[in-house]
Amino acid sequence: MAFSLQILLSQKPVEIVWCGTSLVLLQITKNVHPLLKYSYFAKEDVICGSLTMTMGTRSVSKTARGIHLGAPANATIILLALVTFFWGCDRNEEIKVYRLVKPSGESEPIGKDAIASTNAPVKSTLERVPTPTGDVPVPADWEPQPLSEMRQASFLVKGEKGAVADISFVKLGPAAGNVLDNVNRWLGQLGQPPVTPEKLTGMIQKLPTARGEVDVIDLNGKPEDGDASKDGRIIGAIASDEATSFFKMRGNAALVGAEKEKFLKWIAAMRTGAGSESTAMPQGAAPSSNKPQIKWDVPPDWSPGPASAMRYASFAAPSDNVDISVVTFPGDGGDDLGNINRWRQQLGLPPADANASNIVPLKTNETTFSTIDITGANTRTVAAWTRKDGRAWFFKLTGPTNGVEKERPNFVKFVQSVRF
Amino acid sequence: MLPRVTDKQRAAVSNNGDLENRRSLMVNKFVDLITSLKLTIVCLAAGMALIFAGTLAQVHLGIHEAQQRYFQSFFVWWPPEGRAIKFPIFPGGHLIGAVLLINLIAAHAKRFRWAWRKLGIHLTHAGLIIMLAGGLFTDLFAVESHMRLANGETKNYSEDISHDELAVVDITNPEFDQVTAIPESVLQHYHIIRHESLPFQIVVRNFFQNSRLQVISEEDTKAQPLANRGPGAQVMVQPMPRATAPDDQNVVTAAIEIIPIDRPGGAVQESLGTWLVSDELGAPQRFSWMGKTWQLTMRPARYYKPYSVTLQKFTHEKYAGTEIPKNFASQIALIDPERSLNRDVLIYMNHPLRYRGETYYQAGFQKDDSATILQVVHNPSFLAPYVACVIVAAGLLVQFGYHLVGFARRRRALA
Repeated sequence: MAFSLQILLSQKPVEIVWCGTSLVLLQITKNVHPLLKYSYFAKEDVICGSLTMTMGTRSVSKTARGIHLGAPANATIILLALVTFFWGCDRNEEIKVYRLVKPSGESEPIGKDAIASTNAPVKSTLERVPTPTGDVPVPADWEPQPLSEMRQASFLVKGEKGAVADISFVKLGPAAGNVLDNVNRWLGQLGQPPVTPEKLTGMIQKLPTARGEVDVIDLNGKPEDGDASKDGRIIGAIASDEATSFFKMRGNAALVGAEKEKFLKWIAAMRTGAGSESTAMPQGAAPSSNKPQIKWDVPPDWSPGPASAMRYASFAAPSDNVDISVVTFPGDGGDDLGNINRWRQQLGLPPADANASNIVPLKTNETTFSTIDITGANTRTVAAWTRKDGRAWFFKLTGPTNGVEKERPNFVKFVQSVRF
Repeated sequence: MLPRVTDKQRAAVSNNGDLENRRSLMVNKFVDLITSLKLTIVCLAAGMALIFAGTLAQVHLGIHEAQQRYFQSFFVWWPPEGRAIKFPIFPGGHLIGAVLLINLIAAHAKRFRWAWRKLGIHLTHAGLIIMLAGGLFTDLFAVESHMRLANGETKNYSEDISHDELAVVDITNPEFDQVTAIPESVLQHYHIIRHESLPFQIVVRNFFQNSRLQVISEEDTKAQPLANRGPGAQVMVQPMPRATAPDDQNVVTAAIEIIPIDRPGGAVQESLGTWLVSDELGAPQRFSWMGKTWQLTMRPARYYKPYSVTLQKFTHEKYAGTEIPKNFASQIALIDPERSLNRDVLIYMNHPLRYRGETYYQAGFQKDDSATILQVVHNPSFLAPYVACVIVAAGLLVQFGYHLVGFARRRRALA
């Protein structure tokens, strides 16, 4: 009775052959190196080995055969051989070949272009600069698209008869800003020959924006295998300052032309303060003009915290995870007990009754604040609030107990500095 | 530590000291050594010491490096890297594990006598063997990778951030891309790479396991870029020491020359230029040869799946008033066209998704919560520890139960 089992692991064969019950035969061939291979050949009490070395077209083989060992020793050697064999399998050294079906669907050529558009000359500074684009008004017919590693804003405009245009904003390091290379790359995408620096100077239009002039370029052309509904014109804009910003609209020639004005307006809007990298809120000033104005002195070691729609202002203290927020509502902002119990609930505490709420008044030059200090298991909240000119103002310091303890004096000074 | 020569063996040599008997004496000594229970104790003690040292070493080396140096090696070396001469100072995890496994199997084979009252012992040993072998198989065949998904993003591959590959993609066909993925280690160890799927050979001119790229400024006329084609021709490569910290990533860079061959094994033709491929040059570089368009990218090694995963929503709850995370969860859609499957899955702490031999764990997230990071583990022997534990527990129960019953009987007989 013979039984043969071939195990294929990492494309290197091990053959284990059983013949009856008394004979165990095992053969392992392993390529240690393209030029060197060895094999074991073992049965019940005999072990053979061979080592083959290839030099050029010649191969030298050394075989040791017929060493008689006892059955247990041989079993151990077989086991060792198997173990070293498995250890030798280095899956990291395999070259894999596979086919991938290209993504189908309408946006396919544009999807490919999204990769191509990242082919800026040099991306040695690939850290993604967080760029809030949400504040910048976007034309209503621009459909937001999922962002990619490279794209920090991406829109799709649909025109008549299936015409589409793809709009992207990519921000790269300062080194990426060679206009000639980028323009020639875009020309290449449209199947057009590259231009010389002299010719380029004549093609560039300057778009003035709040943060310096932007080089705008309008290119026409269609690659040989291109689809006219999706390709035919690129309007690109390159702005170089501390980083290089690429704005690009590519798609159906007529549609791109129709959208050009909106596109340039959007670029100008992106290049105002709102589109800048800085989310820092000016000290003591309101985030926008239609909000009520109050003034204060920010303690020197507080830094502006993350902005949010709910918050009037937000600060972070150097102590870990301590958050200072300023929130305002028209009207009276709810009754005190309700607010206190909401804060207690945030700290995991049961609601307090009206008598035990421990509100302490804090008098300042202009008004009197109500303050409360609530300590939970690990976190603590110090809150101060007042109502002035038909609005309620809430100042809140919250975070880990120790951090809050450290920041409390600063917070009190901050609240006292508030001027309406 | 060598086992003593038994009287029988000594007698065998003294009576007829021929070669055959000397050899059998040597073999017997060897067999005694590998079946010795003292060896088991030494291995277990060495294992404990190694785990202790390896755990402490994680402080400075980070988990991956410590695992590689202490546990996924035959020896722990001193000094660890960058010196010409190294000394093995302690057996590594692989060596201890292998010796322990061999010792366990050999000892059991030698002393094996079938009896019902030994059933518990046999079961316990079988469980231990499964556990050790399972550990070995996990080490050899488990693949860990990550899938980073932004909200709404769909992917059908995961990436191994600690290993790179050079993807040489034939993008000519409008239906599909043919990818030839060459692992970083091949670029590192081989000078000339030929593969049947490529009508050219790749000659590795330079390889850097970690590097920093710098743009050559126009004034700098002396700078010699490694590449003469593509964006790499404007870049200087500065070699860097290998990153060890868990958050640091190596920037793998290589300068490769593409030299066409007219047929496999055929004569070498004129070079298509030297290209720089690097993690930092994210975008693919293209060239054409023989009417086909090829694309070169250095990227984290990819594992493609026959199904796709879309992130629908990532939730990140924090404890009120703090930045301390309370719960992360990724709501994903799993689409498998082969099995006509489309279902929504919620992956969160201790609730991984297991699908087609792969396990998706919630591993991390982008700082601004815009993307989730799932750890993808493919481990064909993931059941081994569970099975081993059940068998060992059953073995111990049988063994102690047998003794307990025997003891109770004897006490009753005495009373």
